[in-house]
Amino acid sequence: MEGSVSPLTVAFAAAVLAWASVATVTVVGRLGFERRRRLSASQPVALRSAPARSRRLVARAERHRGEAGKWKRIAALRAVSRERHPRRRALLRWALEDRDRDVAGAAVRVLGEIDDDWATEMLIEALRANRYPRALAAGQLERRSPAIGPLLLQLLSDPDAAVRFWGATLLAGCPEIARDELIALTTDPEANVRAAATEALGTRGGGRSVRGAVVARLGDDAWFVRVHACRALGQVGSPDDAPALAGMLGDPWWWVRAAAKDALRSFGLNVAGVLVPHLDSDDGFVRNGAAEVLQDIGFLDGLARSGKEGGLRERILVAGGDDMRRTAETRADDEESARIDRRTGS
Amino acid sequence: MSTLHVLHWTVVVCISYLALTYVLYLLLAVVGLFENAVRRRESATEDYETLAASRFTIPVSVMLAAYNEESAITATVRSLLALDYPEFEVVVVNDGSNDDTLRVLRANFDLAPFTIFSRRIVQTEPVRAVYRSRTEPRLLVIDKENGGKADALNAGLNLARYRYVCGVDADTVFEPDALLKGMRLVVSDPARVIGVTSHLTIALDPEATMAEPVGRRRVASRPFVAYQHLDYLRAFFNNRLAWSRFHFMLCAVGAFQIWRRDVLEEVGGYARGFTCEDIELTFRVHERYLRQRREYRILCLPDNVGTTEGPDTVRKLVSQRERWQRVIDESVWHYRRMLFNPRYRTVGLLGVPFYLVSEVLAPVFEVLAVLSLAAAVAFGVFHWTTFALTLGLISFANAALTASAILADDLQSRVYRVPDLAWLLLLAPLDLFLYRPILMWARLKGTWRFLRRDKGWYKFERNARAAPV
Repeated sequence: MEGSVSPLTVAFAAAVLAWASVATVTVVGRLGFERRRRLSASQPVALRSAPARSRRLVARAERHRGEAGKWKRIAALRAVSRERHPRRRALLRWALEDRDRDVAGAAVRVLGEIDDDWATEMLIEALRANRYPRALAAGQLERRSPAIGPLLLQLLSDPDAAVRFWGATLLAGCPEIARDELIALTTDPEANVRAAATEALGTRGGGRSVRGAVVARLGDDAWFVRVHACRALGQVGSPDDAPALAGMLGDPWWWVRAAAKDALRSFGLNVAGVLVPHLDSDDGFVRNGAAEVLQDIGFLDGLARSGKEGGLRERILVAGGDDMRRTAETRADDEESARIDRRTGS
Repeated sequence: MSTLHVLHWTVVVCISYLALTYVLYLLLAVVGLFENAVRRRESATEDYETLAASRFTIPVSVMLAAYNEESAITATVRSLLALDYPEFEVVVVNDGSNDDTLRVLRANFDLAPFTIFSRRIVQTEPVRAVYRSRTEPRLLVIDKENGGKADALNAGLNLARYRYVCGVDADTVFEPDALLKGMRLVVSDPARVIGVTSHLTIALDPEATMAEPVGRRRVASRPFVAYQHLDYLRAFFNNRLAWSRFHFMLCAVGAFQIWRRDVLEEVGGYARGFTCEDIELTFRVHERYLRQRREYRILCLPDNVGTTEGPDTVRKLVSQRERWQRVIDESVWHYRRMLFNPRYRTVGLLGVPFYLVSEVLAPVFEVLAVLSLAAAVAFGVFHWTTFALTLGLISFANAALTASAILADDLQSRVYRVPDLAWLLLLAPLDLFLYRPILMWARLKGTWRFLRRDKGWYKFERNARAAPV
């Protein structure tokens, strides 16, 4: 038909219009955002909202429908909490019990911002109920540690092993208030709980009973408990514990050997005497581990510097292998070069 | 059937192909916008402060493979060490560089060689030395014989200490909250989230770009670089976010890929037999987990985690993109058993077919479309106005998709200045004429090299920057 517009022209016009519309929305939206940002920076937000707005916020925070409604609810929950609305406690409880993980998670985070005891109790309830990843509720509770330590004690005797685990983990910030309970948990039937209790005890010194409990866990059946025991001993132990840790250098699990080496390193040069006999061990892991720790604590380089190395340096290098010999020589060369540079001022 | 008839039908087939891929991209862009909105709202309610301070935030080993990166390595490592994250280590692997990469690292981070007895989870080329920094205990540098990026990352994996690893590129400068943003969803669901990647931007000089504050950053004024920026935006916001929503995220990009370490160990680490390691690894993990009917998620996030260096010449760009084309072809071919196989769920039914249609077959159809359209006009099968309108339609239809990616990025990050947004939006319709031909050539070249089974990596030279210290 003459004068009619071809479908191709219509499609072309539609494409231009689509591009222009999205481009306009992008630029206008951004300008609006900048304007709102400037305004909010220059005008302080009223802490107390008008009654009508308050009612609207509460209604939104109570329940939601659909994806968009969910995020409005979450925003409303934050708003009623920040404005210390009298109904915020009930609203947060409902949100915490909501089947939607995003809503429950948001409630956990909002509770984390509230310093009142009831908020702490609700977070502990959330941790028990496992409606949301426990690590997030624990993260919020951890921020209040050690002040909330006494409230956490109840978790240590919970029938649910996961709750006992989190109780022990959270008490790492203040193990002294539950020392006996934590020591008891190092023999819990659940390996995760034993690991958490051992880790918690490792955060503070606690005398012979704590050290004894930790050392006992070096022989645990679960490899990750042994890892925590090595780390804990590195924290609460002393060079006197080095022989026990050196014995772990031959553990079949790499993680345990690595933790034992870390713990031994933390005692510094004091462990050298304990490690030297292990350089001749029949177990390759033990020989290598002992040589590596002696290298890392500076004992090997110290021998080279002192010039009184005798055969000991050679024993370490033999235990560490060709690679250790090469790296030791490179470090020595580097030191020599640096010394010459310093002397010549270059 | 006459030649003109054949020509007519060739054009029809090519236009139908373009229309089909356009509809697919449009659908993905809509889903991508939705996914972006959800992730943005999630992120807004996230308590990053607690996450950044918590002992329960899972530690990460960041692994960086470096081959002849003397100009970029220092800035990258510094940006990694400045990450705001509770517990992490940076493992740099010098993959037998024949420039001064190792010397620069030793000088800037006070490195000394030490012997570390580690596990050999994956076989790699021999390690020459392992260096620790005397000033930065979180930094470990491995110097090894050249074996390619996958081999270097495997060497990093052997020495990495933590439960999650994050593979990054040596030419990328990271935002301080990159790891925090990347690990946010892992912390919420570590049992299922086994892989995460996130959005990266591109610049000629990432350090200079990142030095500008958010909201005032500039987009390159050179159209050549701005088009690469647009390409990244489309890839992340229009495609990968939608793939992530549909559970077929098939490309955890090499510049930022977080993996649960046991997953990498289980699948045997990064594969050396492919042109690049990232896409193939993602395919492999999907294949294994779906075959074994295990629950898992590999996610793409819209958060801008860093700025990577883009090629500054056409030659370098072609070299980079032909390599990307080759690895896509190699991966789709190698995992062809997943194609339309219901056992592999959305990966087999949507993801791999999408790759086949939109990436593997694209070079063939694109070239055919150009040649047949030109011939059709020359032989009078179509009037030149039809030809011009068709080109205009394709240009603006693609520009609308590009604009939607720019919108999604701006809603997410608010990182660029308004004039720069306008500049990008204006460039979008000319993409077909100024940038696509280069990509078309690169993809054709990549396909040819794939057919010749060429697996070489012709690394392009880094852009000129300030001299290494």
